[in-house]
Amino acid sequence: MKNKVRSTRLPAYIAAYGLVAIMLIPIVWMFWVSFKPINSIVTVIGELLTPPYTMESYVRVQESSMIWRWTINSVIVGVIQTAGTLLLSSLAAFAISRIPFKGKTFIFLLILAGLMVPVEATIVPLYEMIVQLGWVNSYPALILPGIALPLGVLILKQFYDGIPNDLMEAAKIDGANLLRIWWSIFLPLSRTSMAALAIFIFVQSWNNFLWPLLVANDQSMMTLPVAIPTFQSSFTTDLTVPMAANVLASIPALIFFLIFQKQIIKGIAMTGIK
Amino acid sequence: MQKLTDVEANDTQKKEMKLSKIKKREIWKTNLTAWLFLLPFVLLYLIFMVYPIVEGFIISLTTGGFGGDREFVGLSNYMTMLTDAYFWEALWNTVLFVLISTPSIVVLGLLMALLVNIGLKGTTFIRAAFFVPYMLSISVMASIFVFIFQPYTGLLNEILRSIGLIDGEIFWLGETALAWLSILIATLWWTVGFNMVLFLAGLQDISEEWYEAADMDGANAWQKFWHITLPSLRGVLTLVVILQSVASFKLFGQPWLMTGGGPGTSTRPLVQYIYELGFRNWNPGYASAVSYVLFLVMMIFAFIQYKLLIKKED
Repeated sequence: MKNKVRSTRLPAYIAAYGLVAIMLIPIVWMFWVSFKPINSIVTVIGELLTPPYTMESYVRVQESSMIWRWTINSVIVGVIQTAGTLLLSSLAAFAISRIPFKGKTFIFLLILAGLMVPVEATIVPLYEMIVQLGWVNSYPALILPGIALPLGVLILKQFYDGIPNDLMEAAKIDGANLLRIWWSIFLPLSRTSMAALAIFIFVQSWNNFLWPLLVANDQSMMTLPVAIPTFQSSFTTDLTVPMAANVLASIPALIFFLIFQKQIIKGIAMTGIK
Repeated sequence: MQKLTDVEANDTQKKEMKLSKIKKREIWKTNLTAWLFLLPFVLLYLIFMVYPIVEGFIISLTTGGFGGDREFVGLSNYMTMLTDAYFWEALWNTVLFVLISTPSIVVLGLLMALLVNIGLKGTTFIRAAFFVPYMLSISVMASIFVFIFQPYTGLLNEILRSIGLIDGEIFWLGETALAWLSILIATLWWTVGFNMVLFLAGLQDISEEWYEAADMDGANAWQKFWHITLPSLRGVLTLVVILQSVASFKLFGQPWLMTGGGPGTSTRPLVQYIYELGFRNWNPGYASAVSYVLFLVMMIFAFIQYKLLIKKED
């Protein structure tokens, strides 16, 4: 019996680890190439796998680029966008879920309709607005347009709808106002949903490409996804320096993934499914 | 009520009036509070979402540059589109990518989720390996794949040569069909993990009892997959198909960074065409018109999918 199980599992093992190899080889290759001497032949596999190895590509990236600045820009944009979206959509979701007021259905439908609108379809008027505001190459331009995220309101509203009314009534009797109820009951209770949403938003923001490409054309205001290709375009034959730049650009996200792997996967599943 | 004297009646009326006044004030206060909660979100939403949609349509009816004076030209931008071969090419490229990427990502994502879900040794590692490319930024991903696919110094040609499959060079990014294949492979590699996670969540919701019952009836693995797993996943399947086709309609970064839309314009998608019309040719009117068509096509596609996939469920 045991033997049978093992033999039927063999194809699954081959498929699984075959796919693992395909998924990991490009990443391993990126790291490997980045440690070879600049301008060395990295395309012949035999040469690639034998020493010498060096850090000189990393030194070169640091000397000839603003890699830390770009990383900091990406972090600033990601963190503020995530925090802002969470705060604003949580407030809005609370009002829609728990306060009876005129125009509630209209507002909710208006926000839901936004789920259908791709940012890609509004870049022309958005860009013109940013130019008129004089915001080209600024953090507000990179951050603000992404904050009013309909998905955030939808997910948190669904969660808030499930919180029993008794809790709110009890707090009201104790004399708590709505802001207090939101802050000390709804926010703590929705920690898991908020964390899931936060991871989702941060990953989106971190990888956002088209919008920063439009509004950040000054090197010092670029985020990593925009800056990396710009930097790499000056290296035509050498692979080691561009790869070192790729590694440096990926390390924050990879470390984040290694630490929060479970939460990230859970967060993606929760945010996606809802 | 009849027992009440006039005075008492008067008193009640006064009380009721007072009550209704308090009630009215209460309602007004609640409304105000609600709007204060909504204000920050709604304000940004109006400025960065609602206004651009309306303004985009107005711009699409004009001609002229950014910021300057624009001339109202009615639907002429939309008429231009009808005979613009580049527009039709870009539209077709986008639809083509949606049609090839969605099924591939569904099949591969589901396969990966199944492999992670059957309790192989090292499952945590396998899952992490499947998902980790999604954490890379699009630029890093594109850069790695350009180095993999490029001729003479690319990794793929070197591997193919070393195992004797090819002799000279294959120009992966230089021929239309191969360029699409390269873009597809890169996209699959990069995003399949996201879809796997969604399928995985769906798989874990299927009750173990169903499989046990099937085992008792002597069902084989294929029958179990076909009659239990797949029907139970219909909801997730719908979601993945919709999310993936929306993402594919927005295709921009992969061709922009890997092929530049080439060779020629044969891998240029709609979003890149919009970008180039708006920010290379400085023709915001026409770019906005094409944006609106993209939006419309996406709505139609979403509607068809909704009808096909959700209706079946009922």
